[in-house]
Parts: sequence; structure tokens; C-alpha cells
Amino acid sequence: MLYRKYLKNQFLSAAQYKLNTFLTAFAQVIINVGEVLAVWMLFGRFESVGEWGFYQSLLMMGIIYTSFSFTECFARGYDEFSKLIRTGQLDRMLIRPVNIHYQILGSKIEFSKIGRIILGITISVIALINLNADWNFYKVLVLIATYICAICVVFGIFVISATISIYTIENYEFLNIITNGTKEVSYYPINIYNKWLTRIFTFIIPVACFNYLPLSFIMGTGSLPQWLCAVSPLFGMLFVIPCMIVFNISLKKYQGTGT
Amino acid sequence: MRSYLGIFKMEFKGELQYRAKAISGIATQFFWGILLISLYTAFMNTDEVNGFSISQMASYIWLGQAFFVMRYIYLLPNTSEQIVSGNVGYKFVRPIDLYNQWFSEHLGQKMSATLLRSPIVIIISLLLPSTIGLSLPVSISAFLLFIISLIIGTLLSVAISMLAVYLVFKTLSDRGAVTLVSTISGLLGGIYIPIPLMPDFIQNIVNYLPFRYISDLPIRIYIGNVGISDALLHIGICITWLVIIILLGKILIKASAKKAIIQGG
Repeated sequence: MLYRKYLKNQFLSAAQYKLNTFLTAFAQVIINVGEVLAVWMLFGRFESVGEWGFYQSLLMMGIIYTSFSFTECFARGYDEFSKLIRTGQLDRMLIRPVNIHYQILGSKIEFSKIGRIILGITISVIALINLNADWNFYKVLVLIATYICAICVVFGIFVISATISIYTIENYEFLNIITNGTKEVSYYPINIYNKWLTRIFTFIIPVACFNYLPLSFIMGTGSLPQWLCAVSPLFGMLFVIPCMIVFNISLKKYQGTGT
Repeated sequence: MRSYLGIFKMEFKGELQYRAKAISGIATQFFWGILLISLYTAFMNTDEVNGFSISQMASYIWLGQAFFVMRYIYLLPNTSEQIVSGNVGYKFVRPIDLYNQWFSEHLGQKMSATLLRSPIVIIISLLLPSTIGLSLPVSISAFLLFIISLIIGTLLSVAISMLAVYLVFKTLSDRGAVTLVSTISGLLGGIYIPIPLMPDFIQNIVNYLPFRYISDLPIRIYIGNVGISDALLHIGICITWLVIIILLGKILIKASAKKAIIQGG
């Protein structure tokens, strides 16, 4: 109920600055279109990388664009948590008798991200049409789970970066590596990177679970057992649980930034 | 001239204050460097592309990371803020040329940020093994031409930023227009992917445009992908582009400053 009020207020405030919201959305979409063109050029030169081609990579981009902007749109409060701390807004939130996560979610809803969400879905559809996979019921199910998994993992990363900013609010660019690094790594099926990067983004941050693992299942390729690839998105979703636990513990230790 | 030098110095010193920002910036640059080299190594699969080897690619990436601030097109937050809010009116009153003032501000900030960051990135990447690290320049003359073309490239980068300033004047928003200029220049200038890795037909187009002269040319002179005699020819073309874009920027900004109406008191 309360969230609906937050949503309405944020929407009304975005609607006050229609042109600004539109231009912001436009600018963000331009950046992403540039990135898609860059990947297209790279595949124009090399045709394939490992077992993957352009449309497999395009699907990966579609998944991360859609899920990342979706999470940015609704959970920006975690991504910009250091702002809440610096302005003292967090201290005010903590004394209110409403669950803190509710308030963080409601603190910022960015409607300008809708441009990127639409772009992400468009790219996904183009990729899926050209993918030449033998579709069946299970593959569609895995694909849907993959999008949900991607949202969970990105949300988990936002929560981690919020947790870090409880301890230090200085390292802004470092937090950027975690969020943007994760995003840009997943433009390609990540098993093309060197072993260490692949391991980090499989076992520490489970990018693989919405990336090459479900892709292997959909394409019916790869050396790993197919069932494992199929359930991998479910494992990826679990990532958000430890993130939330660590965040809650850290928040209990939070002492405020002063008056 | 002295007043522009003063503006340049102020921006330069101001940027040097942000050392912590520079350190985390360097960490970020290393992460991207390693990521990109791993990515393109996977694509190139130990092959050369028209004489562009993997170790040259690694050097291309590291030099790109070291001079990132210099080659990336952006506006100082102050500049766009002043135009959008109308405070730019104060600048009209000053007895110095608007274009030169903005030009020296941007040049000062770019140079100090680059000087603060690039030496550390260069030194550490020189120490890495040759397939993933930065190699030494192919010859002393190539190194000298690299420095010369890098300086001209920096001026060109600022000159293109000034075209973005003009677009902010026109649209009164710092978002759409600046992003458009910076994306086009990044894509066609070899920031998104190195130009030698683009398909041939796109390279043929990109080579005639000014954007590649910002950083692609200096880097390719350094790694020996562009020979000495070619380099001299291209530096000539680069200077021609620089003059054209500066003149264009001056005319456009002068015209829109004349038309600007400062509202309120």
C-alpha cells in the first residue's frame, strides 16, 4: 500500500519534468546503442568467439540491459545509498516505524530508465528471432528464469555496494567497478574471458547463472551437464539472500554521520 | 593570452587536489584494461589482424586507459550548468573571448587529470608480461611523433568538446547532445573497440573522420602499426582537422552567444 504511494509520488515528480526525463532516457539509450554497434563491429571482423556468434552475444546484452535498467529503475535507492547516508536521510528513515527496505526502495524510482528497458527488450527479441535454437517448453521456462535471476543478481550487487558505503562513503569509483564492471562483463558469454575472470564471475558474483550457463542449455551446447545449466538461474537467484543478511547486520552497526 | 594561461593554471591546480579520486580512478582503469585485453585476446585467438598482433593490442588498450581522460569527450559540469542556468551571462561581460576561456578551462582540466593518472598506469603496465602488458615504443622517432600527435590529439579532443558546448547552447540541456557527441566520437575514435579490430569497410570510413586522430593515431604510431612517413602525413591531416573544428566552434559559439538573451535581473 505504502509502496504504491511512493510510486505515485515519484511518477508525478518525474511527470513534472517531462522533457528532462525524456532527454535523460534518450541520452542513456544512445550510449547503449553505441555499445551494441561496437559489439556488432567486433563480430563483423571475427564472426565468432569460441562457440558463440553475434546473436548469442546480443541476447546476453538484451538480458543485462533489461534486468539492469529494471533494477536501476526500482531499486536505485540501494545503488545511491551513499547519498542517503551523506544527506542524513538514512538517519531519518531509521526512526520511522516502517521497514527500512520499503523506504529505500521508495526513496528513488527512476522512470527515465524505461527507455533502456524498452531497448533491452527490443534487443532480446531481435536476438531470439535470429538465434536458431530448437525451442521447447523447458527452454522458454529457463529463459524466463534467466531474466528473473539477472534482476536478483543485479539487485544483490546494489545491496553489496550499499553495504560497503555503510563502512566508507569515499570510494565512489571503486563501487563503480562492482556495479558497472558486472554489467559490462556480461555483454558477452563470459566463458570467453580468461579463467580467473570467468571463475570470479561464476563463483563470487554469479553472472554465469544468467549468462553462458542458461545460454548453453538453450543452444544445446557446452561440456557441462544440461540439467545443471538448466537449473543454474535458480542458484543465481539465491545470491540475493546472503547480500541482504550482510546488509541487515551492517545496518545494525550503523552509527550515523553526525548531527 | 596571459588570462587564458591563468584559467588553465587554475583548472590544473584544482584537479591536482583530488588525489583520492585519481587513485580509485587508476584502480578502475586497471580493471577495465585487464578485462578488455582478455576479451580481445579471446576474439583474436592468437592471430594477427592486418599486422595488428596481440601484444600490440595490449599496448593499444593500456595507452588508451592511461590517456582515457584526454581522449574521452565530456564537458566540465560547471560549463553546462552555467549555460543551462543562465549564469553564463557573467562570462559575456568579461573582456575575454568566451570560446578561448572554455577551451583553456577544459584543456587545463584534461591535462592535469591525465598527468596525474597516466604515469602510474604506464609504469605498472610496462612491468606486466609482454602479451598482456605495454611494450616499449618501436623507435625513438616513433616515440617523438607519438608525443607530438598526442598533444595535437588533446587539442582536437577539446575542440570537439567545444562543439558539444554549442549543442548545449542550442538545446539548453546537458544531457542528450553531449552524450551524442561523446558516443559518436567514442565509437568512431576507437574508444569502444580499437579501430584495427573493426571490419575493413568501417575502417575505410572511420579513417577519413576527425575522431580517430584524437587517440587512435598517436597510439598506433607508438606501437608501430602506422609507419613514420605515414605518421607525418596523418599528423598533417590531423592539424587540418584541428584548425577546421576550432574555426567551426568559434563561429557557432559566437553566433549563439550573440543571439542569447539573458532573462531576469
